[in-house]
Amino acid sequence: MSISDKSERALSIDELLQRNVYDVDDEPHIIVDTEKCLKCRVKPCTLLCPAGCYTLSPDGEILFSYEGCVECGTCRSICPMDAITWNYPRSGRGIYYRFT
Amino acid sequence: MGSIPTRFDVIVVGAGPAGAAAAYHAAKRGFKVLLVERGRGAGSKELYGGRIYVGPLRDVWPGIEKEAPIHRWVVEERLSIIGDGEVATLSYRYSNPVSFTAYLPDLTRWMVSKAEEEGVVFVDEVRVDSLVRDGEGRVIGIRSGPDVAYASVVVDAEGANRLLLERAGIVDALDAKRAPIALGVKEVLKLPKGAIEDRLGLSDGEGLSWLIAGTVTKGIPGGGFIYTFKDTIAVGVVVHLGHSVNAVEAGVLKESVKDLVESIRLHPYFKRLWRDSDIVEYGAHLTVECGLDYMPPHLAYDGLVIVGDAAGLLLNLGYTVRGVDLASYSGMLAAEAIAKAHDLGGMNAENLRVYENMVKESFIYKELVRHRGICWLTKERRFFTSYANILLGILSNLYVQEFKHPTVFEAVKASIRSGGEALLPLIGRILKVVREL
Repeated sequence: MSISDKSERALSIDELLQRNVYDVDDEPHIIVDTEKCLKCRVKPCTLLCPAGCYTLSPDGEILFSYEGCVECGTCRSICPMDAITWNYPRSGRGIYYRFT
Repeated sequence: MGSIPTRFDVIVVGAGPAGAAAAYHAAKRGFKVLLVERGRGAGSKELYGGRIYVGPLRDVWPGIEKEAPIHRWVVEERLSIIGDGEVATLSYRYSNPVSFTAYLPDLTRWMVSKAEEEGVVFVDEVRVDSLVRDGEGRVIGIRSGPDVAYASVVVDAEGANRLLLERAGIVDALDAKRAPIALGVKEVLKLPKGAIEDRLGLSDGEGLSWLIAGTVTKGIPGGGFIYTFKDTIAVGVVVHLGHSVNAVEAGVLKESVKDLVESIRLHPYFKRLWRDSDIVEYGAHLTVECGLDYMPPHLAYDGLVIVGDAAGLLLNLGYTVRGVDLASYSGMLAAEAIAKAHDLGGMNAENLRVYENMVKESFIYKELVRHRGICWLTKERRFFTSYANILLGILSNLYVQEFKHPTVFEAVKASIRSGGEALLPLIGRILKVVREL
Protein backbone atom coordinates (compact mmCIF):
# COMPACT_ATOMS: atom_id res chain seq x y z
CA MET A 1 0.00 0.00 0.00
CA SER A 2 1.53 3.30 -1.04
CA ILE A 3 0.16 6.43 0.52
CA SER A 4 0.99 9.59 -1.32
CA ASP A 5 2.92 11.69 1.14
CA LYS A 6 5.27 14.16 -0.44
CA SER A 7 5.57 16.37 2.63
CA GLU A 8 8.91 17.12 4.15
CA ARG A 9 8.00 16.30 7.72
CA ALA A 10 9.22 13.32 9.70
CA LEU A 11 6.63 10.56 9.68
CA SER A 12 5.42 8.77 12.77
CA ILE A 13 6.18 5.09 13.10
CA ASP A 14 2.53 4.28 12.43
CA GLU A 15 2.61 6.28 9.20
CA LEU A 16 5.74 4.35 8.12
CA LEU A 17 4.35 0.94 9.05
CA GLN A 18 1.17 1.69 7.05
CA ARG A 19 3.32 1.30 3.93
CA ASN A 20 3.96 -2.35 4.74
CA VAL A 21 2.00 -5.47 3.94
CA TYR A 22 1.21 -7.70 6.91
CA ASP A 23 -0.87 -10.75 7.59
CA VAL A 24 -1.17 -10.23 11.33
CA ASP A 25 -1.45 -13.39 13.38
CA ASP A 26 -4.40 -13.74 15.76
CA GLU A 27 -2.08 -14.33 18.67
CA PRO A 28 1.16 -12.53 19.53
CA HIS A 29 4.43 -14.22 18.57
CA ILE A 30 6.31 -12.29 21.25
CA ILE A 31 5.38 -12.37 24.92
CA VAL A 32 6.60 -9.59 27.21
CA ASP A 33 6.59 -10.01 30.97
CA THR A 34 5.80 -6.35 31.67
CA GLU A 35 6.09 -6.96 35.41
CA LYS A 36 9.85 -7.23 34.84
CA CYS A 37 9.79 -3.97 32.85
CA LEU A 38 8.66 -2.09 35.97
CA LYS A 39 12.13 -2.65 37.43
CA CYS A 40 13.92 -1.70 34.20
CA ARG A 41 15.64 1.68 34.42
CA VAL A 42 16.81 2.11 30.82
CA LYS A 43 14.02 0.56 28.73
CA PRO A 44 16.13 0.52 25.53
CA CYS A 45 13.30 -1.22 23.65
CA THR A 46 11.31 2.03 23.57
CA LEU A 47 13.95 3.63 21.33
CA LEU A 48 15.64 0.71 19.59
CA CYS A 49 12.67 -1.36 18.39
CA PRO A 50 12.51 -0.10 14.79
CA ALA A 51 8.77 -0.77 14.61
CA GLY A 52 7.95 1.12 17.80
CA CYS A 53 6.26 -1.91 19.35
CA TYR A 54 7.30 -0.86 22.85
CA THR A 55 5.79 2.37 24.16
CA LEU A 56 5.51 3.95 27.59
CA SER A 57 2.15 4.49 29.22
CA PRO A 58 1.58 7.77 31.10
CA ASP A 59 2.36 5.79 34.28
CA GLY A 60 5.71 4.73 32.88
CA GLU A 61 4.67 1.15 32.18
CA ILE A 62 5.72 -0.68 29.01
CA LEU A 63 2.90 -1.23 26.54
CA PHE A 64 3.69 -3.87 23.93
CA SER A 65 1.90 -4.41 20.63
CA TYR A 66 3.05 -7.07 18.18
CA GLU A 67 1.01 -6.07 15.13
CA GLY A 68 3.64 -3.81 13.49
CA CYS A 69 6.61 -6.05 14.37
CA VAL A 70 9.08 -6.50 11.50
CA GLU A 71 10.55 -9.65 13.12
CA CYS A 72 14.12 -8.37 13.39
CA GLY A 73 14.97 -9.74 16.85
CA THR A 74 16.42 -6.50 18.22
CA CYS A 75 14.25 -6.48 21.38
CA ARG A 76 15.30 -9.95 22.47
CA SER A 77 18.98 -9.06 22.08
CA ILE A 78 18.84 -5.78 24.05
CA CYS A 79 16.37 -6.48 26.87
CA PRO A 80 18.29 -6.00 30.15
CA MET A 81 15.57 -7.77 32.18
CA ASP A 82 15.25 -10.96 30.12
CA ALA A 83 11.54 -10.13 29.94
CA ILE A 84 10.93 -11.20 26.34
CA THR A 85 9.91 -14.61 25.06
CA TRP A 86 10.58 -14.28 21.36
CA ASN A 87 9.47 -16.30 18.39
CA TYR A 88 8.70 -15.75 14.73
CA PRO A 89 5.02 -15.53 13.80
CA ARG A 90 3.36 -18.79 12.94
CA SER A 91 3.61 -20.13 9.44
CA GLY A 92 3.44 -17.42 6.81
CA ARG A 93 2.05 -14.72 9.09
CA GLY A 94 3.58 -11.33 9.90
CA ILE A 95 5.51 -8.94 7.65
CA TYR A 96 5.57 -9.50 3.89
CA TYR A 97 8.46 -7.59 2.31
CA ARG A 98 8.30 -6.71 -1.39
CA PHE A 99 11.01 -4.11 -2.18
CA THR A 100 13.77 -4.93 0.30
CA MET B 1 4.06 -30.39 6.24
CA GLY B 2 1.46 -33.15 6.62
CA SER B 3 1.02 -33.87 2.91
CA ILE B 4 4.68 -34.24 1.91
CA PRO B 5 7.00 -37.20 2.40
CA THR B 6 8.78 -36.92 5.71
CA ARG B 7 12.13 -38.45 4.82
CA PHE B 8 14.75 -36.63 2.74
CA ASP B 9 18.48 -36.82 2.14
CA VAL B 10 18.89 -33.11 2.91
CA ILE B 11 16.60 -30.62 4.65
CA VAL B 12 17.49 -26.94 4.29
CA VAL B 13 15.99 -24.51 6.80
CA GLY B 14 15.56 -21.02 5.35
CA ALA B 15 15.10 -20.13 1.68
CA GLY B 16 17.51 -17.19 1.54
CA PRO B 17 20.57 -16.84 -0.68
CA ALA B 18 22.47 -19.42 1.42
CA GLY B 19 19.68 -21.96 1.79
CA ALA B 20 18.57 -21.74 -1.83
CA ALA B 21 22.16 -22.33 -3.01
CA ALA B 22 22.63 -25.32 -0.69
CA ALA B 23 19.35 -26.83 -1.88
CA TYR B 24 20.07 -26.18 -5.57
CA HIS B 25 23.56 -27.69 -5.50
CA ALA B 26 22.56 -30.65 -3.32
CA ALA B 27 19.72 -31.49 -5.73
CA LYS B 28 22.08 -31.08 -8.69
CA ARG B 29 24.24 -33.76 -7.09
CA GLY B 30 21.31 -36.14 -6.94
CA PHE B 31 20.17 -35.73 -3.36
CA LYS B 32 16.49 -35.61 -2.41
CA VAL B 33 16.12 -32.13 -0.90
CA LEU B 34 13.44 -30.36 1.13
CA LEU B 35 13.75 -26.56 1.41
CA VAL B 36 11.53 -25.03 4.10
CA GLU B 37 10.77 -21.35 4.58
CA ARG B 38 8.73 -19.62 7.29
CA GLY B 39 7.56 -16.78 5.03
CA ARG B 40 4.82 -16.75 2.44
CA GLY B 41 6.77 -17.56 -0.68
CA ALA B 42 10.54 -17.27 -0.78
CA GLY B 43 12.15 -13.97 0.15
CA SER B 44 9.22 -12.34 1.92
CA LYS B 45 11.11 -12.04 5.23
CA GLU B 46 14.36 -10.76 3.76
CA LEU B 47 15.87 -7.31 4.02
CA TYR B 48 19.36 -6.11 3.16
CA GLY B 49 21.02 -2.86 2.10
CA GLY B 50 20.80 -3.28 -1.59
CA ARG B 51 24.02 -4.26 -3.38
CA ILE B 52 25.29 -7.69 -4.40
CA TYR B 53 28.74 -8.64 -5.71
CA VAL B 54 28.44 -10.88 -8.72
CA GLY B 55 31.87 -12.60 -8.85
CA PRO B 56 31.25 -15.51 -6.46
CA LEU B 57 27.63 -15.78 -7.61
CA ARG B 58 28.70 -16.67 -11.16
CA ASP B 59 30.04 -19.95 -9.76
CA VAL B 60 26.95 -20.57 -7.65
CA TRP B 61 24.21 -19.52 -10.08
CA PRO B 62 25.12 -20.06 -13.74
CA GLY B 63 23.29 -17.55 -15.92
CA ILE B 64 22.61 -15.11 -13.08
CA GLU B 65 23.62 -12.05 -15.09
CA LYS B 66 21.21 -12.86 -17.89
CA GLU B 67 18.28 -14.33 -15.99
CA ALA B 68 18.12 -12.80 -12.51
CA PRO B 69 15.91 -9.76 -11.75
CA ILE B 70 18.81 -7.29 -11.65
CA HIS B 71 17.91 -3.59 -11.36
CA ARG B 72 21.12 -1.62 -11.82
CA TRP B 73 24.87 -2.26 -12.10
CA VAL B 74 26.79 -0.09 -9.62
CA VAL B 75 29.16 2.24 -11.48
CA GLU B 76 29.57 4.90 -8.83
CA GLU B 77 30.61 4.71 -5.19
CA ARG B 78 30.07 7.65 -2.88
CA LEU B 79 31.19 8.11 0.68
CA SER B 80 29.99 11.12 2.66
CA ILE B 81 30.85 12.45 6.07
CA ILE B 82 28.07 14.54 7.53
CA GLY B 83 28.57 17.21 10.19
CA ASP B 84 26.39 20.00 11.48
CA GLY B 85 25.64 21.81 8.25
CA GLU B 86 28.67 20.41 6.44
CA VAL B 87 29.08 17.49 4.06
CA ALA B 88 32.30 16.03 2.65
CA THR B 89 31.77 13.58 -0.21
CA LEU B 90 34.20 11.32 -2.01
CA SER B 91 32.88 10.05 -5.32
CA TYR B 92 34.42 7.35 -7.50
CA ARG B 93 33.08 6.38 -10.91
CA TYR B 94 34.21 3.39 -12.94
CA SER B 95 33.23 1.53 -16.08
CA ASN B 96 33.67 -2.12 -15.15
CA PRO B 97 30.92 -2.84 -12.60
CA VAL B 98 31.28 -5.83 -10.25
CA SER B 99 28.07 -5.49 -8.26
CA PHE B 100 24.38 -4.93 -8.90
CA THR B 101 21.24 -3.93 -7.06
CA ALA B 102 18.13 -6.09 -6.87
CA TYR B 103 15.17 -6.57 -4.56
CA LEU B 104 16.33 -9.49 -2.44
CA PRO B 105 12.83 -11.07 -2.29
CA ASP B 106 12.74 -11.14 -6.12
CA LEU B 107 16.29 -12.44 -6.45
CA THR B 108 15.63 -15.15 -3.87
CA ARG B 109 12.47 -16.24 -5.67
CA TRP B 110 14.56 -16.61 -8.81
CA MET B 111 17.14 -18.71 -6.90
CA VAL B 112 14.42 -20.93 -5.43
CA SER B 113 12.85 -21.40 -8.87
CA LYS B 114 16.26 -22.66 -10.07
CA ALA B 115 16.37 -25.06 -7.12
CA GLU B 116 12.88 -26.31 -7.90
CA GLU B 117 13.93 -26.95 -11.51
CA GLU B 118 16.58 -29.29 -10.08
CA GLY B 119 13.92 -31.19 -8.15
CA VAL B 120 14.07 -29.47 -4.75
CA VAL B 121 10.80 -29.72 -2.82
CA PHE B 122 10.10 -26.17 -1.64
CA VAL B 123 7.58 -25.68 1.15
CA ASP B 124 6.77 -22.20 2.47
CA GLU B 125 4.79 -21.06 5.51
CA VAL B 126 6.61 -23.57 7.69
CA ARG B 127 8.16 -22.15 10.84
CA VAL B 128 10.73 -24.64 12.06
CA ASP B 129 10.60 -24.75 15.87
CA SER B 130 13.58 -26.97 16.57
CA LEU B 131 16.16 -29.36 15.24
CA VAL B 132 15.34 -32.98 16.06
CA ARG B 133 18.17 -34.96 17.64
CA ASP B 134 18.56 -38.63 18.45
CA GLY B 135 19.74 -40.13 21.74
CA GLU B 136 23.36 -39.45 20.86
CA GLY B 137 22.71 -35.80 20.01
CA ARG B 138 22.93 -36.24 16.26
CA VAL B 139 20.64 -33.98 14.26
CA ILE B 140 18.17 -36.19 12.40
CA GLY B 141 15.48 -33.75 11.27
CA ILE B 142 13.32 -30.73 12.01
CA ARG B 143 10.16 -30.11 13.98
CA SER B 144 7.42 -27.63 13.11
CA GLY B 145 4.54 -27.73 15.58
CA PRO B 146 3.37 -31.36 15.62
CA ASP B 147 5.09 -32.21 12.31
CA VAL B 148 8.50 -33.81 12.02
CA ALA B 149 10.57 -34.37 8.87
CA TYR B 150 13.71 -36.48 8.83
CA ALA B 151 16.91 -36.20 6.81
CA SER B 152 20.46 -37.53 6.77
CA VAL B 153 21.66 -33.96 7.14
CA VAL B 154 20.07 -30.59 7.98
CA VAL B 155 21.47 -27.37 6.53
CA ASP B 156 20.86 -24.45 8.91
CA ALA B 157 20.35 -21.31 6.79
CA GLU B 158 18.16 -19.48 9.31
CA GLY B 159 19.99 -16.15 9.07
CA ALA B 160 21.56 -13.86 11.66
CA ASN B 161 18.78 -14.30 14.22
CA ARG B 162 19.70 -17.87 15.17
CA LEU B 163 16.78 -19.22 17.18
CA LEU B 164 17.39 -22.83 16.12
CA LEU B 165 21.10 -22.85 16.94
CA GLU B 166 20.35 -21.22 20.30
CA ARG B 167 17.68 -23.78 21.12
CA ALA B 168 20.08 -26.56 20.14
CA GLY B 169 22.67 -25.13 22.54
CA ILE B 170 25.20 -24.57 19.76
CA VAL B 171 25.43 -20.78 20.18
CA ASP B 172 24.71 -18.48 23.15
CA ALA B 173 21.43 -16.60 23.47
CA LEU B 174 21.69 -13.42 21.42
CA ASP B 175 22.99 -10.59 23.60
CA ALA B 176 23.68 -7.24 21.94
CA LYS B 177 26.24 -6.36 24.60
CA ARG B 178 28.40 -9.33 23.67
CA ALA B 179 27.55 -10.33 20.10
CA PRO B 180 28.90 -8.32 17.15
CA ILE B 181 25.48 -7.53 15.71
CA ALA B 182 23.96 -4.40 14.23
CA LEU B 183 20.48 -3.28 13.33
CA GLY B 184 19.72 -2.13 9.79
CA VAL B 185 16.64 0.06 9.29
CA LYS B 186 15.55 1.01 5.80
CA GLU B 187 12.95 2.98 3.86
CA VAL B 188 12.20 2.38 0.20
CA LEU B 189 11.21 5.50 -1.75
CA LYS B 190 9.47 5.39 -5.12
CA LEU B 191 10.54 8.18 -7.47
CA PRO B 192 8.98 9.68 -10.58
CA LYS B 193 10.16 8.06 -13.81
CA GLY B 194 13.59 9.26 -14.93
CA ALA B 195 14.25 11.08 -11.65
CA ILE B 196 17.00 8.72 -10.47
CA GLU B 197 18.90 9.14 -13.74
CA ASP B 198 18.49 12.93 -13.85
CA ARG B 199 19.24 13.68 -10.22
CA LEU B 200 22.16 11.29 -9.73
CA GLY B 201 23.71 11.56 -13.18
CA LEU B 202 23.15 7.92 -14.06
CA SER B 203 22.29 6.31 -17.37
CA ASP B 204 19.67 3.64 -17.80
CA GLY B 205 20.70 0.55 -15.84
CA GLU B 206 23.53 2.31 -14.00
CA GLY B 207 23.46 2.33 -10.23
CA LEU B 208 25.03 4.09 -7.32
CA SER B 209 26.06 3.00 -3.83
CA TRP B 210 26.43 5.67 -1.17
CA LEU B 211 27.62 5.19 2.40
CA ILE B 212 27.28 7.94 4.98
CA ALA B 213 29.27 8.45 8.17
CA GLY B 214 29.22 11.14 10.82
CA THR B 215 26.39 12.65 12.83
CA VAL B 216 23.72 10.47 11.19
CA THR B 217 24.16 7.79 13.85
CA LYS B 218 24.57 10.18 16.83
CA GLY B 219 28.05 8.84 17.48
CA ILE B 220 26.96 5.21 17.56
CA PRO B 221 29.28 3.05 15.43
CA GLY B 222 27.53 2.50 12.13
CA GLY B 223 26.42 4.63 9.24
CA GLY B 224 23.85 5.46 6.66
CA PHE B 225 23.36 4.03 3.18
CA ILE B 226 21.68 4.87 -0.09
CA TYR B 227 21.21 2.39 -2.96
CA THR B 228 19.49 2.89 -6.29
CA PHE B 229 17.00 0.46 -7.78
CA LYS B 230 14.99 0.59 -11.00
CA ASP B 231 12.55 3.28 -9.89
CA THR B 232 13.17 3.31 -6.14
CA ILE B 233 15.90 4.38 -3.76
CA ALA B 234 16.66 2.63 -0.48
CA VAL B 235 17.70 4.91 2.40
CA GLY B 236 18.75 3.49 5.71
CA VAL B 237 21.04 3.29 8.69
CA VAL B 238 22.98 0.50 10.36
CA VAL B 239 23.80 0.88 14.06
CA HIS B 240 25.91 -1.38 16.25
CA LEU B 241 23.37 -2.68 18.77
CA GLY B 242 25.59 -2.96 21.83
CA HIS B 243 26.72 0.63 21.41
CA SER B 244 23.12 1.67 20.78
CA VAL B 245 22.12 0.31 24.18
CA ASN B 246 25.09 2.14 25.73
CA ALA B 247 23.94 5.33 24.01
CA VAL B 248 20.42 4.94 25.42
CA GLU B 249 21.84 4.26 28.88
CA ALA B 250 24.09 7.33 28.66
CA GLY B 251 21.23 9.51 27.45
CA VAL B 252 23.11 10.22 24.19
CA LEU B 253 20.42 8.62 22.05
CA LYS B 254 17.09 10.22 22.85
CA GLU B 255 15.21 9.47 19.66
CA SER B 256 14.00 6.28 18.02
CA VAL B 257 16.16 4.47 15.45
CA LYS B 258 13.48 5.23 12.86
CA ASP B 259 14.20 8.93 13.46
CA LEU B 260 17.82 8.31 12.41
CA VAL B 261 16.58 7.12 9.02
CA GLU B 262 14.07 9.93 8.81
CA SER B 263 16.84 12.46 9.48
CA ILE B 264 18.74 11.20 6.42
CA ARG B 265 15.59 11.24 4.29
CA LEU B 266 14.92 14.82 5.39
CA HIS B 267 18.54 16.01 5.40
CA PRO B 268 18.82 19.18 3.26
CA TYR B 269 21.73 17.70 1.29
CA PHE B 270 19.90 14.48 0.40
CA LYS B 271 16.19 15.27 0.35
CA ARG B 272 16.33 16.98 -3.06
CA LEU B 273 17.41 13.65 -4.54
CA TRP B 274 14.03 12.06 -3.76
CA ARG B 275 11.78 15.08 -4.10
CA ASP B 276 8.18 14.01 -4.94
CA SER B 277 8.77 10.45 -3.81
CA ASP B 278 6.50 8.09 -1.92
CA ILE B 279 7.66 5.79 0.85
CA VAL B 280 6.52 2.35 -0.27
CA GLU B 281 8.10 0.17 2.40
CA TYR B 282 9.75 0.40 5.82
CA GLY B 283 11.62 -2.43 7.47
CA ALA B 284 14.52 -3.62 9.59
CA HIS B 285 16.78 -6.62 9.98
CA LEU B 286 19.69 -7.73 12.12
CA THR B 287 23.07 -7.96 10.47
CA VAL B 288 26.45 -9.36 11.45
CA GLU B 289 29.04 -6.72 12.26
CA CYS B 290 32.10 -8.89 12.56
CA GLY B 291 31.80 -12.31 11.00
CA LEU B 292 34.61 -14.16 12.76
CA ASP B 293 33.29 -13.23 16.19
CA TYR B 294 29.80 -14.41 15.26
CA MET B 295 30.88 -17.78 13.94
CA PRO B 296 29.58 -20.81 15.88
CA PRO B 297 32.28 -23.01 17.50
CA HIS B 298 32.01 -25.29 14.47
CA LEU B 299 30.30 -25.01 11.09
CA ALA B 300 29.43 -28.73 11.04
CA TYR B 301 28.13 -31.18 13.63
CA ASP B 302 26.65 -34.67 13.46
CA GLY B 303 23.90 -34.33 10.86
CA LEU B 304 24.14 -30.52 10.68
CA VAL B 305 25.94 -27.87 8.63
CA ILE B 306 25.59 -24.10 9.13
CA VAL B 307 25.68 -21.62 6.22
CA GLY B 308 25.28 -17.91 5.47
CA ASP B 309 24.62 -15.28 8.14
CA ALA B 310 23.92 -18.01 10.72
CA ALA B 311 27.55 -19.06 10.24
CA GLY B 312 28.76 -15.44 10.55
CA LEU B 313 29.80 -15.40 6.90
CA LEU B 314 29.31 -11.70 6.24
CA LEU B 315 32.08 -9.28 5.43
CA ASN B 316 31.63 -5.69 6.60
CA LEU B 317 34.54 -3.58 5.39
CA GLY B 318 33.19 -0.22 6.44
CA TYR B 319 33.27 1.15 2.89
CA THR B 320 31.31 -1.81 1.52
CA VAL B 321 29.43 -4.87 2.77
CA ARG B 322 29.27 -8.35 1.30
CA GLY B 323 26.65 -10.77 2.55
CA VAL B 324 24.48 -12.23 -0.20
CA ASP B 325 27.37 -13.52 -2.32
CA LEU B 326 29.20 -15.03 0.65
CA ALA B 327 25.99 -16.66 1.87
CA SER B 328 25.22 -18.25 -1.49
CA TYR B 329 28.82 -19.39 -1.91
CA SER B 330 28.81 -21.05 1.52
CA GLY B 331 25.57 -22.85 0.57
CA MET B 332 27.27 -24.23 -2.52
CA LEU B 333 30.27 -25.38 -0.45
CA ALA B 334 27.92 -27.08 2.01
CA ALA B 335 26.32 -29.07 -0.83
CA GLU B 336 29.77 -30.10 -2.12
CA ALA B 337 30.77 -31.15 1.39
CA ILE B 338 27.57 -33.16 1.82
CA ALA B 339 28.41 -35.05 -1.37
CA LYS B 340 31.94 -35.70 -0.07
CA ALA B 341 30.64 -36.83 3.33
CA HIS B 342 28.23 -39.15 1.54
CA ASP B 343 31.17 -40.71 -0.34
CA LEU B 344 33.13 -40.98 2.91
CA GLY B 345 30.31 -43.04 4.41
CA GLY B 346 27.86 -40.74 6.15
CA MET B 347 26.83 -37.40 7.66
CA ASN B 348 28.74 -37.56 10.92
CA ALA B 349 30.59 -34.52 12.24
CA GLU B 350 33.96 -35.89 11.20
CA ASN B 351 32.95 -36.28 7.56
CA LEU B 352 30.95 -33.05 7.43
CA ARG B 353 33.86 -31.02 8.79
CA VAL B 354 35.05 -31.19 5.21
CA TYR B 355 32.70 -28.22 4.87
CA GLU B 356 34.45 -26.30 7.62
CA ASN B 357 37.78 -26.90 5.91
CA MET B 358 36.36 -25.85 2.55
CA VAL B 359 35.09 -22.58 4.03
CA LYS B 360 38.47 -21.98 5.69
CA GLU B 361 40.30 -22.54 2.43
CA SER B 362 37.86 -20.40 0.42
CA PHE B 363 38.12 -16.66 -0.26
CA ILE B 364 35.31 -16.11 2.29
CA TYR B 365 37.27 -17.08 5.37
CA LYS B 366 40.54 -15.66 4.09
CA GLU B 367 38.82 -12.31 3.53
CA LEU B 368 37.21 -12.41 6.97
CA VAL B 369 40.62 -13.05 8.57
CA ARG B 370 42.45 -10.51 6.43
CA HIS B 371 39.96 -7.77 7.34
CA ARG B 372 39.63 -8.75 10.97
CA GLY B 373 40.86 -5.29 11.97
CA ILE B 374 37.50 -3.84 11.02
CA CYS B 375 36.15 -5.47 14.18
CA TRP B 376 38.36 -3.21 16.25
CA LEU B 377 37.21 -0.23 14.24
CA THR B 378 33.54 -0.92 14.89
CA LYS B 379 34.29 -0.55 18.59
CA GLU B 380 36.26 2.69 18.20
CA ARG B 381 33.57 5.28 18.90
CA ARG B 382 35.91 8.20 18.28
CA PHE B 383 36.18 7.21 14.66
CA PHE B 384 32.47 7.97 14.29
CA THR B 385 32.44 11.20 16.28
CA SER B 386 35.49 13.39 16.75
CA TYR B 387 37.45 12.05 13.77
CA ALA B 388 34.62 12.89 11.40
CA ASN B 389 34.47 16.40 12.87
CA ILE B 390 38.23 16.83 12.60
CA LEU B 391 38.13 15.98 8.89
CA LEU B 392 35.28 18.41 8.28
CA GLY B 393 37.19 21.02 10.31
CA ILE B 394 40.27 20.63 8.12
CA LEU B 395 38.18 21.17 5.00
CA SER B 396 36.47 24.16 6.59
CA ASN B 397 39.83 25.70 7.52
CA LEU B 398 41.11 25.18 3.98
CA TYR B 399 38.13 26.36 1.98
CA VAL B 400 35.98 28.67 4.10
CA GLN B 401 38.30 31.68 4.13
CA GLU B 402 37.67 35.17 2.83
CA PHE B 403 41.24 36.53 2.50
CA LYS B 404 43.91 34.33 3.98
CA HIS B 405 44.18 30.54 3.59
CA PRO B 406 46.17 28.50 6.08
CA THR B 407 48.76 26.00 4.87
CA VAL B 408 47.48 22.43 4.84
CA PHE B 409 49.59 21.65 7.90
CA GLU B 410 48.16 24.63 9.79
CA ALA B 411 44.62 23.63 8.83
CA VAL B 412 45.17 20.09 10.08
CA LYS B 413 46.79 21.19 13.32
CA ALA B 414 44.08 23.73 14.14
CA SER B 415 41.26 21.28 13.48
CA ILE B 416 42.84 18.57 15.63
CA ARG B 417 43.32 21.07 18.47
CA SER B 418 39.73 22.31 18.34
CA GLY B 419 38.58 18.68 18.26
CA GLY B 420 40.26 18.21 21.64
CA GLU B 421 42.74 15.66 20.32
CA ALA B 422 46.53 15.67 20.50
CA LEU B 423 48.41 15.44 17.22
CA LEU B 424 50.77 12.52 17.83
CA PRO B 425 48.36 10.03 19.45
CA LEU B 426 45.84 10.88 16.73
CA ILE B 427 48.36 10.17 13.98
CA GLY B 428 49.12 6.88 15.70
CA ARG B 429 45.45 5.90 15.75
CA ILE B 430 44.90 7.02 12.16
CA LEU B 431 47.86 4.89 11.08
CA LYS B 432 46.27 1.99 12.94
CA VAL B 433 42.97 2.59 11.14
CA VAL B 434 44.75 2.69 7.77
CA ARG B 435 46.67 -0.46 8.63
CA GLU B 436 43.55 -2.33 9.79
CA LEU B 437 41.59 -1.32 6.72
